[in-house]
Amino acid sequence: MIGHTGLETPYWSSLAEGKLSLPRCSGCGQWQWPVAARCGECGHWGSEWQDVPLSGHIFSWTRTWHRFGGTEALPLPYVSLLAEIDGTDGKRLMGLLEGVGEEDRVRIGAPITGRIGSTRFGEEDVPVIIWRLRDGGEA
Amino acid sequence: MNKTFYAKTAVAGVGIRQFRRASAPMSEQQALTHAIVDACEDAGLAPADVDGFVTYGDDKNEPARLMSALGTKELNWSMAVLGGGGGGIAGAFADAAAAIISGQAKAVVIFRALVQDMSGRLSAAVMAHHLNRHMVAAGIVAPAQVCAMRAQRLFEYHGVPESTAEEFLKACYYHGSHNPDAIAYQTAFDHDAYAGSRLIAEPFRLFDCSRENDGAGALLLVSAEHARNLAKPPVYLLGATQGTGKGWGDLLDNDEDYASAGFATVARRLWEQTDLTPADIDVAQIYENFSAQGVASLIDHGFCTYENVAEFVRFENLIAPGGGLPVNTHGGNTAQGFIHGIGMAIEAVRCLRGESANPVPDARTCLLAGGPAAPTVSSAIFGNSGIIG
Ligand SMILES: [Zn+2]
Repeated sequence: MIGHTGLETPYWSSLAEGKLSLPRCSGCGQWQWPVAARCGECGHWGSEWQDVPLSGHIFSWTRTWHRFGGTEALPLPYVSLLAEIDGTDGKRLMGLLEGVGEEDRVRIGAPITGRIGSTRFGEEDVPVIIWRLRDGGEA
Repeated sequence: MNKTFYAKTAVAGVGIRQFRRASAPMSEQQALTHAIVDACEDAGLAPADVDGFVTYGDDKNEPARLMSALGTKELNWSMAVLGGGGGGIAGAFADAAAAIISGQAKAVVIFRALVQDMSGRLSAAVMAHHLNRHMVAAGIVAPAQVCAMRAQRLFEYHGVPESTAEEFLKACYYHGSHNPDAIAYQTAFDHDAYAGSRLIAEPFRLFDCSRENDGAGALLLVSAEHARNLAKPPVYLLGATQGTGKGWGDLLDNDEDYASAGFATVARRLWEQTDLTPADIDVAQIYENFSAQGVASLIDHGFCTYENVAEFVRFENLIAPGGGLPVNTHGGNTAQGFIHGIGMAIEAVRCLRGESANPVPDARTCLLAGGPAAPTVSSAIFGNSGIIG
């Protein structure tokens, strides 16, 4: 599996501690996601990690009905989200949505709040943000 | 304008061997050898005279291993488009043309072979490039799910009617049903069949997804002058561009124009490179890994916009012979067959030769758009003597 570069370690360790942390360029302060070794905007090397609240909005979503290999830990159907994280200039993270039924409409733009859980993938429990509609509100 | 590629090279021969998935009666290398020899026979050129090979999408067949069977005298160009999966298909033509125009090679075969027993599932191979902890934790492991989320945004946020995906598919299946070589030959496809197919990942149903075939395809590219002395009428390469722009790529779904197919810079440069516009295109082979991405590809290339897409993406407008822009005249990846899209390039050539099962009379130009929504994509335009003279 690609993508778990050393640069991302603070992200995964913060999730393991039950919080969300995202990187900003330590030169120009711009949010950097995915994290990069160098800021392509100002040329600065290195980032600072900042805790951000587990709240945001639904940017897009899909409800999976087909049993794709590797998803056995998730009961069908399940809703995967792309969540826009509040206060990060619109940076997006993938996650799961809980608390919606099979027939419930999911709506882009709906406010959501999250908690940290994990998804079993092969031999590993991978941390994941599990979202729910904010204030128990309607999708 | 940079007309470096414009009609400097031409496809002189095509060959394809297609089988149902996991049922090829021969190995991947054998199927590929057949397809290359077929392409050479189509052109009237000895296979031993092919001196260059270009592929894309992680094809595992290294050209050096084909030399014994082909009798290759010299291997002078051996290249693959890096990344992008099916998004590399038109880039392979740019690469082959660059070799010929610069004098590095004289007869270059563009190929893709896929026999599951050897290469495994294509979807798994594609995902090996992209799969990461963010995705698997969210239950996202397949291209269908990645593209489904983009499709959802296209429909729900940008207001593109979901019916456009169905109209696009109906055109593919209409063409496929009239093509004896298509998996959908003589197959009826209507709204009930579509809406009744099972959900895969919303908004996609089974019919929204291309399904893999075994097989191999090859196209022989030579200089325009050389092509005019071979057996078949030349189909000229007018332009080809590959890549992506800032704000698109492998960005953990943080792409700027997220619901698009990723062609913004590639399409712009293609029109600039050829001095053509969407109005100059007579027929198009629009790689549809998934229905909505085919629609997004048409938008990206400027045939329509988020606002007027429903006027353009109508069944009647997308079918041969009378539609304004017939698309996927052999049936496309969904209804003809899917060997990582190589069949679309072959159909681009056949329709400009007048050999398509769904002819487009007097067609002079054909667009080939590579795998939409990939981190890098590519597009090409082909033309026949009708435009070149
Ligand atoms: Zn910076």
